[in-house]
Amino acid sequence: MSEHPLTLLLEFDDQVRRDQHQAPAFLHRRDRKYALEADDGLAPRQWLAHLHRLSGRPPGQTDKRLARWRRITLGFAVAGALLGILAMLGLLFYDGSGRINLTVILGFILLQLLLATATTVQAFAGWRPWGWLVDRYTRRSGEIASVLTRLHPQLLARAAHGGGLLFGLTGLATLLLLVVVQDLAFGWSTTLDTGAPAYHHWVQTLAWPWQSLWPAAVPDADLVASTRFFRAGTPPPIDAARWGDWWPFVAMAWSCYLVLPRMLLLGLAQVHLRLRARRLLVGHPGFTALRYRMETPILDTGSTEEAIHQAPALSAHADLQPCPDSPVVIRWAGAGEPVLPDDFTANAHRQVLSAGGAATLEDDRHAIQQARLVLASRAEPSATLLTRAWEPPTAELEDFLTLARDQWPEGTLICLVPLATDCLRRPSETQLAQWLRFAERQADPRLQVSVHQTPDLANRAVEGQS
Amino acid sequence: MTEAPVFAVVGHPNKGKSSVVATLSQNDAIAIALEPGTTRHSQAYPLRVDGEVLYTLVDTPGFQRPRQVLEWLQAHSLSASDRAETVAAFVRQHRDEPRFHDECELLTPLVEGAGIIYVVDGSVPYSTENESEMTILRWTGQPSLALINSIGCDDYSDDWHKALGQFFQVVRKFNAVTAPFNQHLSLLKAFGQLEPAWETVLDQAVMHLSDQRAQRKEQAARLIATALEDMMGWQEKRTLTTGQLTGTSRETLAEDLRQRWYQHQRQREQSLRLAIEQLYQHHRIQRQEAELAWHSEHDLFSETSRQTWGVSKAYLATAGFGAGAIGGAGIDAIALGSSLGTGALIGGLLGAAGSYFYGDRLSLPVLRIGPLSHGLQTASFGPVQDSQFGYVVLGRAVDHWWQVSHRNHAGRDLLDLEPTDRHWLEDLEPEYRHEIQRAFTRCRKQCSLSSDQRHRLTMAVEAALDTYGQWRQARG
Repeated sequence: MSEHPLTLLLEFDDQVRRDQHQAPAFLHRRDRKYALEADDGLAPRQWLAHLHRLSGRPPGQTDKRLARWRRITLGFAVAGALLGILAMLGLLFYDGSGRINLTVILGFILLQLLLATATTVQAFAGWRPWGWLVDRYTRRSGEIASVLTRLHPQLLARAAHGGGLLFGLTGLATLLLLVVVQDLAFGWSTTLDTGAPAYHHWVQTLAWPWQSLWPAAVPDADLVASTRFFRAGTPPPIDAARWGDWWPFVAMAWSCYLVLPRMLLLGLAQVHLRLRARRLLVGHPGFTALRYRMETPILDTGSTEEAIHQAPALSAHADLQPCPDSPVVIRWAGAGEPVLPDDFTANAHRQVLSAGGAATLEDDRHAIQQARLVLASRAEPSATLLTRAWEPPTAELEDFLTLARDQWPEGTLICLVPLATDCLRRPSETQLAQWLRFAERQADPRLQVSVHQTPDLANRAVEGQS
Repeated sequence: MTEAPVFAVVGHPNKGKSSVVATLSQNDAIAIALEPGTTRHSQAYPLRVDGEVLYTLVDTPGFQRPRQVLEWLQAHSLSASDRAETVAAFVRQHRDEPRFHDECELLTPLVEGAGIIYVVDGSVPYSTENESEMTILRWTGQPSLALINSIGCDDYSDDWHKALGQFFQVVRKFNAVTAPFNQHLSLLKAFGQLEPAWETVLDQAVMHLSDQRAQRKEQAARLIATALEDMMGWQEKRTLTTGQLTGTSRETLAEDLRQRWYQHQRQREQSLRLAIEQLYQHHRIQRQEAELAWHSEHDLFSETSRQTWGVSKAYLATAGFGAGAIGGAGIDAIALGSSLGTGALIGGLLGAAGSYFYGDRLSLPVLRIGPLSHGLQTASFGPVQDSQFGYVVLGRAVDHWWQVSHRNHAGRDLLDLEPTDRHWLEDLEPEYRHEIQRAFTRCRKQCSLSSDQRHRLTMAVEAALDTYGQWRQARG
């Protein structure tokens, strides 16, 4: 795992992209588990190292992208080195007909300083004046959509300062080489109404940084006064060696105002790049999400527990049968409350009993005994058991029927009549179906299910017949 | 560390015990049927946080022979002080007896210290039949709460409330199928009030569940944003030899690619549906065949869908102005502000005009045939050049999310995604509208989104989810 924040940022961004198609639950589980178990910190570096260790993934894409930027930086460096030589050769071009104008050299150095400052400003402001060119170069690799795009200003600034530094160094080397192999004649010239004292003052100000370091590189007033030249007119007589005395000043000015700033700004660009990469990592949407996943507990609501219930078959094969006019009507668990339909009320030929529900088991047994007495005297005994259609038949009813079958005369027809909450309405088909299935499960041929002939149903039957 | 509380959900058969458990444990695998005896064994559903159990819900079978149990208990008890012990003795004695299998299953967790959640159906009249059960439960001496779960349309909950109040510490109404999420949380808090020692842990559970809810919404927004990006930028390609190309008419090729393009978009939308449903732990919605019914009615490419979910020209113009102005502002930045904002104005006007004039048609992507290379030519179809398509997908996705996130796990109805009758997106903050519009524009130009752009789109979609939720709420 690289220590460089830029590499770390790219690897992190890559991992976030890879995670994009993973299920959120998986990511949460993975990262929360890591957070709970990690003993070497929760920083992205450790997290990535953990993931890479598990997947055995070698670094790949990241290196390619950075190699591309290394090539861009190298290109700037080579161009800077060549241009530095050419620029110095141009500045020191001397054909013997005039002097090498110091003012031009100082102006060129000033221009370089301005360019270096502008490069730094665009990096800090985040501008990409060359963005379109870089985009064309990097588009093919898909880098255009990566987080690296946001570092282009800083990367470009670093490359530009690298090129600028080499420009200055090769320019300086060229100057020194020409000083050795050629006889350079420097002078200063300007159209402005500037006298030698003013020029000397200005030059001394420029030379202030190195005046104690190399006094010979600080021109004296005499040199300034004697090396002024005009293109027109005859130059005053001067010792020819004096024309060359300017070279230490030129070398130091070049070093101090061109090479040194580039060097400092290159260092600054490097630090800025690292800081910006670190800030981008902290502000990365994936980082926020990762922190959230690490800090948020995994909640398992029990939905993964296997349900062991068996879904029952919901079809019923038995049909509803006509309701017999039974001499015994038993209201099971309060069925028929509060008003019992007329067809089931007690009269001289019909006894109404209660069982189940709030009644005790002893009451149930008593009701069975009473019914037995009535049914025993009938040739075709039948008993009607009223139930609440909406209440599911339970084992207690089953027990009651088993006991009744045991006690009542053989062949007694037992008719279950589920009643709706409104006794005058027919129960729903779903409610009836559960009673039909219950009757089926009892495997008793003399047990049937009927519906109460409500006025509504009776009217419909009459209409059907007519 | 105190032991995590256990709550046994008990009651008469077929009164919605499993529905309550399914909703609270977010488990749609629990079989729920209108038939007594569906649940034959107790089943525990623990809520775990980082593997640690906070509480457990136990789904139990219903009472089958409560009067016999009560008769046995009364016969073996001398005073009120031995009642809990007598219930435990009953369970020990009848554990292996098939006759009392269901009673033993439901009483075992209570004997072991579980709290009681007694469920009744408030849509049917109160019956004294339940009093045997309630008496048995009272004999266990455990903290108890009664839930009135209305299965049908009628309402007898007041009668139930009065009766249950005599047997249980707390009585609450809770419809397992329709109760909104905040009622789930409120119910859990009520569980915590049964016993002082349970309060903290139940409060924690409520906090975690609320966080999970918020997290799911964020994740849903991310899933929708990713799907939008995929679908808006999708291009169907086919490589052909020169012979194949000359043997196929341009129309046939276009039709073939168009069909494949449609097919892909439909599949992508389906995968988004499944991902959202899985996020909310709904795994069985498809089995209800809701998708088929819905798709035959409201297909992604039908005119109905476009009219319902597309946005108005005014909306597009506004969003286009915002997106264009941001582009134009770049020109101002390059000019170091010397253009005095003219770039933003011109960009905005161009964006608005483009969206206004070209935004009202769901124009389909055109066929493109690439240059011949090594005897092969690539024909491509897409991406869609109309932002309306993105809004159609977004509208349908947001509606689906809303339905799924508000669906309880006890629900078994068909997921019917009815189209709405107006453009709710117009209620969305302009900032988010521009973000969505910008992302659509980028996608259809086949420029992939950076992490940051994707994050902003996700935030805009999340805002759209909120807006839709508020709009639905206001609509009632």
